[in-house]
Amino acid sequence: MFDPFVWALVLIVGLSLFGYSIGIAMLVGSIVFLAGRGFDTSIASETLLQGLFNSYTLLSIPLFILAADIMNAGSLADRLLRFSQAVVGRFRGGLGHVNVFSSLIFSGMSGSAIADAVGMGRIIINMMTKNGQYSPAYAAAITAASATIGPIIPPSIPMVLYALVSDTSIGFLFAAGILPGLLMGVVLMVMNGLIAKRRGFPRDEVVPLKALPGVTFRAIPALLLPVILLGGIYGGIMTPTEAAAVAAAYALVISVVVYRSVSAGQFYTTLLNSARSTAAVGILIAGALAFNYVITRQDVPASLAMFIQQFDLSPVGFLIAINLLMLALGCVLEGGAILLIIVPIFIPTAQAMGIDLVHFGVVVVVNAMLGLITPPYGLLLFVVANITGQPVGRIIRELLPFLGALFIALGIITFVPDFVLFLPRLLGYRG
Amino acid sequence: MSHLALLWGRLHRIAEALIVLLLASMFASFLIQIVFRYFLNLPLGWTVEFVTIAWLWGILFGYAFVLRDDEVIRLDIVYLAVPTPAQRAMDFLSSAVVAGILVWSLPQIYNYISFMKIERTAFLKIRFDHLFAIYIPFVLAVVMRSLRTCWRALKGQGYGPTASSEAAENV
Repeated sequence: MFDPFVWALVLIVGLSLFGYSIGIAMLVGSIVFLAGRGFDTSIASETLLQGLFNSYTLLSIPLFILAADIMNAGSLADRLLRFSQAVVGRFRGGLGHVNVFSSLIFSGMSGSAIADAVGMGRIIINMMTKNGQYSPAYAAAITAASATIGPIIPPSIPMVLYALVSDTSIGFLFAAGILPGLLMGVVLMVMNGLIAKRRGFPRDEVVPLKALPGVTFRAIPALLLPVILLGGIYGGIMTPTEAAAVAAAYALVISVVVYRSVSAGQFYTTLLNSARSTAAVGILIAGALAFNYVITRQDVPASLAMFIQQFDLSPVGFLIAINLLMLALGCVLEGGAILLIIVPIFIPTAQAMGIDLVHFGVVVVVNAMLGLITPPYGLLLFVVANITGQPVGRIIRELLPFLGALFIALGIITFVPDFVLFLPRLLGYRG
Repeated sequence: MSHLALLWGRLHRIAEALIVLLLASMFASFLIQIVFRYFLNLPLGWTVEFVTIAWLWGILFGYAFVLRDDEVIRLDIVYLAVPTPAQRAMDFLSSAVVAGILVWSLPQIYNYISFMKIERTAFLKIRFDHLFAIYIPFVLAVVMRSLRTCWRALKGQGYGPTASSEAAENV
């Protein structure tokens, strides 16, 4: 009962519930564990410092953050929306489709769901509600739902975090996210179409086909970014970490040179914001590094694997259990924290059950993203509520059909590993 | 505004400029690395080392001296649900515990970092005790900020504006 591990857990959970910084809570908990075991307490700090210094893959995080911030500062989002409008605006519920479609493209450039909702989301919500065509709650709901695709389609910050804790290849993880991300887009557009038909939502003004090449041309610099990124990574020209730097550089060049939309002052502010976000996320990672040492020391994953084996779960049963657990945790915990703290504990079990770790990674990341739109603690819900000024409760009501559609997609992603692994295998993944 | 507040504001802006510089130089080093490796066929070692140093310092320095209390990633679901006096009690208790544990662990942390003077990094030959030196001010800053929260809680004030998760926005 008075095991130091229990003390550490109580301290971390307690401090977190009391609203203290989660990253520091994990560091302090690790120190208490070490002291209780009679070890040198500086091991926690050593693990943290060496971990940060030796994790080259993590360096993509600040750069992906920077790339997304630059794109949001420039007029890239604007042009992408106009392009999406020309392509899918002509259908009933047009702007809803535009919302999802532009999220799909934007997710090929940014690795974060929140960046998607903040940048593109703000503009599209204004477009949808301007003439009273759509209720603000509906616009907010579909924006939140489509923003979850952001980190599924590469690049993806959550997948970098998963790669760190699972030792899987970021390249294959990124490839594995493409089809599931597209699937999520499709189910959302189908749901939007169904609702549009029932409620008689308007079509958007039809952009004549003649104008399509012009709109597309103006969007090309933005549309090229996903191509450069994925081509660079899978063509073996650059590592995913370097790709993050290239994405940021490319976004900067087209924003400044081609679109002339970012001033020096804005660039400074953008850098500062990205650096702030990096520090906030970085401390969470740092704390998790220290705490992961404790988890390993305590052999938690092995004990857990033994415990789960008692239930004689099939891999499918295990995946269902993981889905339920992740969704429950997603309601109260932040996505990054789940990926860094909870997921590593289950990885050995998943491996023992013969579940492919790249597939498992996509499943947990999709779960973590759905956690962003499940009440009560859904970061994305707060973001869109903030943009629209709508009460979260009303947004949630409009969100339910989309959540249902995303659950169907999650089911397919969970139970059809061949679908998820199709692209990685094409690229040479053996699994 | 008093002289002290003025000085404080200026120091804060310098700290901000420093993390901007760290991120910008990290960004630039990556680009240099790509150009040298793929276009000039000259792999560089120091860029990798430099960006990891900038990353380490950017996080610790940024967290200690730039982030506002309301930008830190925290779980506020319980916190926001309880009445204000309970929030102050939670602030006081959690901050006091954290400050206490960190201060108590500080001598061992200091020993570890000064011990690391025996090693140098592979390319830039930087001594590890210098490299990790930022950790001491980081810990001290966390302690000071926690004590400030305790003090504010005693006076009946919160740790800052509403606890939004603004800076968490990129995960």
